[in-house]
Amino acid sequence: MRPTGIWFQSYAGEASVLQTRRSRLWLGLLGLGLLALPLTAGPWLLGEMTHLFITLIAVYGLFVTVGMAGQINIAQSAFVGVGAFAAAKFAGLGLPFWLVVPAAAVVTGLVSVVFALPAARVRGFYLALTTLAAQIIFPIVILALPMSWLGGLVGMPVPAPDLFGLNLATPTGFYYLAFVFAALAVWTGFNLPRSRFGRALRAVHDNDTAAGVLGIPVTRIKIEAFFAGALYAGVAGAILAYFLQFVTVSSFTLFTSVWYLGMLIVGGIHTPLGPILGVVFVTLVQESLHTAANTFMQSGAFMGGGAVFALSSVVLALCILIALIFEPRGLAHLWHTAVTGFRLWPFPRN
Amino acid sequence: MVRESGAILEARDLCLRFAAVEALRSVSLTVEAGSVHALIGPNGAGKSSLLNCLSGFYRPYSGSVLFKGADISGLSPPERARGGIGRTFQGIQTYPSMTVRENILTGFHPRMKGGVFHALFRTPASIRQEEEFATKAEEIIDFLELEEVRHSPVGGLSYGLRKQVDLGRALALSPSILIMDEPMAGMSPEEKGDLARYVLDIRDRFGIPVVLVEHDMDVVMDISDRVTVLEFGAVIADGTPAEVAADPRVIAAYLGGDAETLAEGAA
Repeated sequence: MRPTGIWFQSYAGEASVLQTRRSRLWLGLLGLGLLALPLTAGPWLLGEMTHLFITLIAVYGLFVTVGMAGQINIAQSAFVGVGAFAAAKFAGLGLPFWLVVPAAAVVTGLVSVVFALPAARVRGFYLALTTLAAQIIFPIVILALPMSWLGGLVGMPVPAPDLFGLNLATPTGFYYLAFVFAALAVWTGFNLPRSRFGRALRAVHDNDTAAGVLGIPVTRIKIEAFFAGALYAGVAGAILAYFLQFVTVSSFTLFTSVWYLGMLIVGGIHTPLGPILGVVFVTLVQESLHTAANTFMQSGAFMGGGAVFALSSVVLALCILIALIFEPRGLAHLWHTAVTGFRLWPFPRN
Repeated sequence: MVRESGAILEARDLCLRFAAVEALRSVSLTVEAGSVHALIGPNGAGKSSLLNCLSGFYRPYSGSVLFKGADISGLSPPERARGGIGRTFQGIQTYPSMTVRENILTGFHPRMKGGVFHALFRTPASIRQEEEFATKAEEIIDFLELEEVRHSPVGGLSYGLRKQVDLGRALALSPSILIMDEPMAGMSPEEKGDLARYVLDIRDRFGIPVVLVEHDMDVVMDISDRVTVLEFGAVIADGTPAEVAADPRVIAAYLGGDAETLAEGAA
């Protein structure tokens, strides 16, 4: 609900995301805080934040395909990988980084269309299996191609990005690079539901039979849903490639794909706020686990890295289960409930 | 009130078979422009099959469908929708997670422009377009008196309101003809009365002819200009409500002992 006393003179104004001065102020403060972070933070925190931003971009892609269009995709990590390898190849050819990122996004989008074609015919569980095939095929293809193309088993080095002579290959540089694209992902993610394409995605999600009869080209929209989702994956992959400075197939696993999906579900699958909350929450849980495990290992030293990996997977599974059982609409819904309650206070929210 | 005359939608000798069941046997139907045309008949008579042939869901075995004089038998449902054949559905087929206005806006999809790029970057052109079509959606919301719930998700609305949203979404396609499959099934008498008035308004104010399948005889006799009666996949009567109600075959097949009261009601 909106706070009282706010009136609009245009439908565009009514559709705006930030409707009160206070919300604009908070967002401005958050943005300033994130921009100023490198002044105080060390390289470890900056690296973590860069990772978080990259993950956020990838999860926004899933929001488009899975959340908006309802087309299940458990190969987002493979699509991020396609973006990373495309970026490594383009950067290796000497393209500047501001050209590499969009080019990698488009290449990833086009690759995803191949795997989206089954979505025209199958849905639900069977579509999940089809995208799983994409995830499995990805390393096989990279390894089978000649070494000189995409590096094969060894992988590919990625030259340092520079912007008009400014070297971005520092923790601060990577941080700002990822920040800018994450902000772009958030902005586009919030734009999507307010558009013709976004409504078509939701229509296909809710009732594709009716949508088809009422003039929405369902097959095309499903394929475009994969394409748009993979654009985000491509951007995430390109930035990850620059950040890691070396890409190998082992960085893009089914596990990561499931993590992405888990973050989206925990955050809230149907609103553009979901990816932010989900990624931040799950990353926090993950990192506190790592920290706890490290302390544990230093004191007792009976837990190996494998145990930490297994433990974090178990915790993710718990998070998803708890979200599905108690709040299938995710953290975003809890947030909306809290905001509504605050605005109505002291009257009860029904 | 604009009343054109002449046939807008014609079915010629439609035959449809599901395995051994003959759903339609050489059914012909002519819908005049500016009329409310009701299809009635006992259960299993082929009413919904005929509607689905008109809107393209089913492909008839033989026969053809003519729309504004052109043969559209080969077109798919989306192509027919873009060509101007709007329809509402039996039961609830709205988009539950979207608001009333968003549901209606989806109906404008074929007339709007812009794909992935305009959606992601919310270009000035797309904002202008949103403004324009939101205004149009509000006109439909105004017509169907849905102002109170324009921002409510449709999934939480009552059955009658959802049927109104379904109707609004069909109107957004600015159809040349509207096909309604059992629009009043499961409605309260008040909701039926409202919907009957909307149907007449659609005919009179927008000049859109309406083809409807309906079981409620009172409503059919009250609002129809023409009634076609089907039984076992064949047309057994066609004419004004009074003519049909007086037809002995209809009385025998369908109306039974109620025929006299109905004839009086229609006269």
